Amino acid sequence: MDPVVWRSLAADIVSLTGEHLVLVAVSSIIAICIGVGIGIAGTRHRRLRNVSITVANVLQTIPSLALFGFLLPIPVIGGIGQRTAIISLVLYSLLPILRNTIVGITTVDPALREASTAMGMTDRQLLTLVELPLAAPTILAGIRIAVVTNIGTAVIAAVIGGGGLGVLIFRGVASVDTTQILAGAVPAAVLALLADGTLGYLERRIGRL
Amino acid sequence: MAYLSFREVSYAVGERVILDRLSFDLERGETLVLLGRSGSGKTTALRLINRMLERSGGTITIDGTDVQSVDAIQLRRRIGYVIQEFGLLPHWTVEQNIALVPKLIAWPPDRQRQRARDLMAQVGLDPDRFGHRFPHELSGGQRQRVGVARALAAEPALLLFDEPFGALDPVTRHEMQQQFIQVREQFGGASVFVTHDLAEALSIGSRIAVLESGKLEGLFTPEQFLQAETPTARAFLNTLPQGLGPPGARTPRT
Ligand SMILES: Nc1ncnc2c1ncn2[C@@H]1O[C@H](COP(=O)(O)OP(=O)(O)OP(=O)(O)O)[C@@H](O)[C@H]1O
Ligand SMILES: [Mg+2]
Repeated sequence: MDPVVWRSLAADIVSLTGEHLVLVAVSSIIAICIGVGIGIAGTRHRRLRNVSITVANVLQTIPSLALFGFLLPIPVIGGIGQRTAIISLVLYSLLPILRNTIVGITTVDPALREASTAMGMTDRQLLTLVELPLAAPTILAGIRIAVVTNIGTAVIAAVIGGGGLGVLIFRGVASVDTTQILAGAVPAAVLALLADGTLGYLERRIGRL
Repeated sequence: MAYLSFREVSYAVGERVILDRLSFDLERGETLVLLGRSGSGKTTALRLINRMLERSGGTITIDGTDVQSVDAIQLRRRIGYVIQEFGLLPHWTVEQNIALVPKLIAWPPDRQRQRARDLMAQVGLDPDRFGHRFPHELSGGQRQRVGVARALAAEPALLLFDEPFGALDPVTRHEMQQQFIQVREQFGGASVFVTHDLAEALSIGSRIAVLESGKLEGLFTPEQFLQAETPTARAFLNTLPQGLGPPGARTPRT
């Protein structure tokens, strides 16, 4: 292949990988804040727990391509571009984080909760000293699933002008160019593996404490 | 005035009366054993004292102060509580577990550590060997020693024990009872000890309150208990093997 074409493809890979990372990082951080926050609140309020899990479940069942499509015509949060892509990625990754936060906290041994409360812990101390440390591996497992899924789903952001490695893939599909498809797919797969490995390692580290 | 006092204390969930007008007084230095069958309301009575449950009627006072008039969190920090399931934090070392309440009430870290180490020695655990272990690295008996030390850590006004030795083998259990009796000597307040083991009740209690279906059936000293005529007391006495009862109940062998 022409070295000029090569060089421009390499430059595309680098900049689009950067865009991809921004999409994933921003959406994951927002999803973690919302998911863990609502998850914690949900362990204190049964109604909130049921409602939030149901909503997150429904969001998860919408095919990702359709979710991006639904958001397009919505004013303020919708429209063409990166912001819409990030919002759909957030909605899409809420469920595993929310569910694992709730499961992690509610499965803490009741005897621990009993003893800790009886020793005079406030609800906040119970949360920060007992429940969150013990639920951390489970919560982190949810985050890992969300981030890894996110890296794959973010490919679709290209469809609504959100950028990222999907640009290469869709361009390659349109022009039946395997090299372009691979140039998008391989870095995305590598990112997913790296994220999975790193978060998995953290999860095991925390689990041993 | 008595140190711990129950006056007509009741607890009901909806229509269901779980404790029915319980009254007794306990002096400083005494150990009241709550003896009763499963479901008689022993745990409920304990949990009313540290307000893990709120009574439906009557008054409970500690050293003249109605427990209802104190903030529940502050109240609990002044009451040691030991449960059968140990309830030690698995991600904290033995030392940290023992120093839990001192940490909550913000003692300086050095004082927390020193207190934890002193208490370990008191309950028969070598501080250097066990201080930095985690609960899963201890036997059941050792864990419950930690549980007892934790309850004592912040010099509580009152100790509550809910079948603390129920999960232990008989020999360890006996050791722990002896340890409890020793520890109690150095402890100024009063203790309430729940058990359904008669031998334990007789060797530990200065008085034994018999609970049956949420009612106080009788209040006895260990000596009186051996002669008691109430149905539940008799039922418990009948569980003693003939001629093998505790000291005092022992009949001369022929
Ligand atoms: N929240 C509740 N709602 C309804 N009933 C309850 C509740 N908590 C306890 N009970 C009932 O109150 C009674 C006393 O319970 P409690 O746990 O005090 O018994 P206990 O004497 O400690 O028994 P055990 O020796 O088995 O521990 C039981 O019949 C139990 O089923
Ligand atoms: Mg009980």
